[in-house]
Amino acid sequence: MFHAFDEIDLGGLARMPLEDLDRLPFGVVGLDSEKLVVVYNATEAGMAGLARDSVIGLPFFDAVAQCMNNFMVAQRFEDEAELDEIVPYVLTLRMRPTRVRLRLLATPDAPLQYILIER
Amino acid sequence: MDADLSREHEQLLEFLYACPVGLVEFDAMGAITMINPHAMKHLLPVAGMRDPGNLFAMLEGCAPELRNLLADYPKERGGICEGHRIAVDMAARRSGKDPKVLACTMIKLGPNRAMATFSDITVQVAQERRLKQSESWFGSLIAAVNDYAVLSISADGVIEGANAAFARQNGCAAGDVTGVPLDQIVSVTPGSGVMTVADQLRLAERDGWYLDESWQVRGTGERYWCQRLFAVRPELDDRSAPGFFVVLRDVTRDASDTSDLRRMLLFDHLTGAANRTHFLQLFEREQRRWRDARQPLSLILLDVDHFKSVNDAYGHPTGDVVLKQLTQLCSATLRPSDLFARLGGEEFAVLLPDTALMQAVAIADRLREAIEALVIPVAAGAVRITASFGCATATDACGTVDGLIELADVQLYAAKHGGRNRVHGQAHRSVEA
Repeated sequence: MFHAFDEIDLGGLARMPLEDLDRLPFGVVGLDSEKLVVVYNATEAGMAGLARDSVIGLPFFDAVAQCMNNFMVAQRFEDEAELDEIVPYVLTLRMRPTRVRLRLLATPDAPLQYILIER
Repeated sequence: MDADLSREHEQLLEFLYACPVGLVEFDAMGAITMINPHAMKHLLPVAGMRDPGNLFAMLEGCAPELRNLLADYPKERGGICEGHRIAVDMAARRSGKDPKVLACTMIKLGPNRAMATFSDITVQVAQERRLKQSESWFGSLIAAVNDYAVLSISADGVIEGANAAFARQNGCAAGDVTGVPLDQIVSVTPGSGVMTVADQLRLAERDGWYLDESWQVRGTGERYWCQRLFAVRPELDDRSAPGFFVVLRDVTRDASDTSDLRRMLLFDHLTGAANRTHFLQLFEREQRRWRDARQPLSLILLDVDHFKSVNDAYGHPTGDVVLKQLTQLCSATLRPSDLFARLGGEEFAVLLPDTALMQAVAIADRLREAIEALVIPVAAGAVRITASFGCATATDACGTVDGLIELADVQLYAAKHGGRNRVHGQAHRSVEA
């Protein structure tokens, strides 16, 4: 089954086994209500150059992705309970400015919020 | 790569991802080779539509001087600036938060390699400001009463008498200054945003008083920071024109406040126009004066038309020459009491105290004509430019600095969309949004 960056939904992500998440061509980061990393797929680990084990449990916007810690991304999750938006963005993967598309996903009843990262 | 080395590499990345200070490495043109997330966190929101792979492009809107600071640095390597302040916001944000300020430290590592750090010092700057306000308040309470020198001035600005404190403060006897025009005794630094003594007396006459401060030189050649109050003197009889009292106070200031540091802090490195910080300070002061004294206060925003194509066609050095010449031209065209400031990139502002909208529009149009007529010789021939202008006047409805900037910005936008090389201006209705 094909899961496209701009089509997959929150429920689909939540139900997907980890090995399937790892095979997606885009990065997947799942955060709990404290903004701690719960899901970090292999694609994202490869792009960032980080090991999954060292990232799980970290405060995402402080320790891993400070570049998203502003009104353009992190604040959106604070302000909007219901969120599904694609944002063109620039990350600093391995300290190189990298143009990406981010998809921000949140609903009030889902336990995790997701950020999808497409290079 | 063996496992140890790869783990070390990962730890290094983790370290840089989590670092709470922005780090950027770039070449002489500003192209970024390395950047950590903290730097991008601050830079991307100010970049707008500009190239996020180039540091100078991202900062063009709020710190265009960084490119020139690096280009003008004469040595092969060394520190270029330390804790250089970048005013990101023009005024307090809508949320009521303090305006954001970044500090930048930049070093040159080689002919084509430089590094910079960025950190958010918003809180620190706001604290300093509050401290400064309370300091000057307490300072004025503590100052001894006998420190006040008083001059009596005729209606046409000639000194008629001086008290003993004046002789002590200025090192010359009262008799020596009687009959001397006031502007020979009180020195006013000519330049943007500074009024002549005659202007100040005129404002005092209209409003009853006027306050000013500047460096002043004693008879001995020593200089001191002098605060002055101009007040209208009660008339001696019905027929004579009113004269003035001028109260001068010697305020001790740190001698390390050298003119070089002052220039760096207050004026744009490239053009010599006032920088954003200086502009904001004077803007706030003028707005206070406007609130208290109800003198009209106007603002002109000026944006060079199609400036990017000048840079693209002739290169940044030519673009820099254009901005310098434009600043010279505007400064020469404006009145001494007007303040000409560079807000970023090719965007400038003129603050016009005591000026109504009609007058501001007329002044903007004079600037527009002068800029249109300007021919800038370059190696490849000559460059001609035009500019668009938005004018606005303070009213009750725009109580804040950003309110007036917003009004002028709407007019500037209209001028751009109306075909550029034109002036738009409109008074704001006194309706609170």
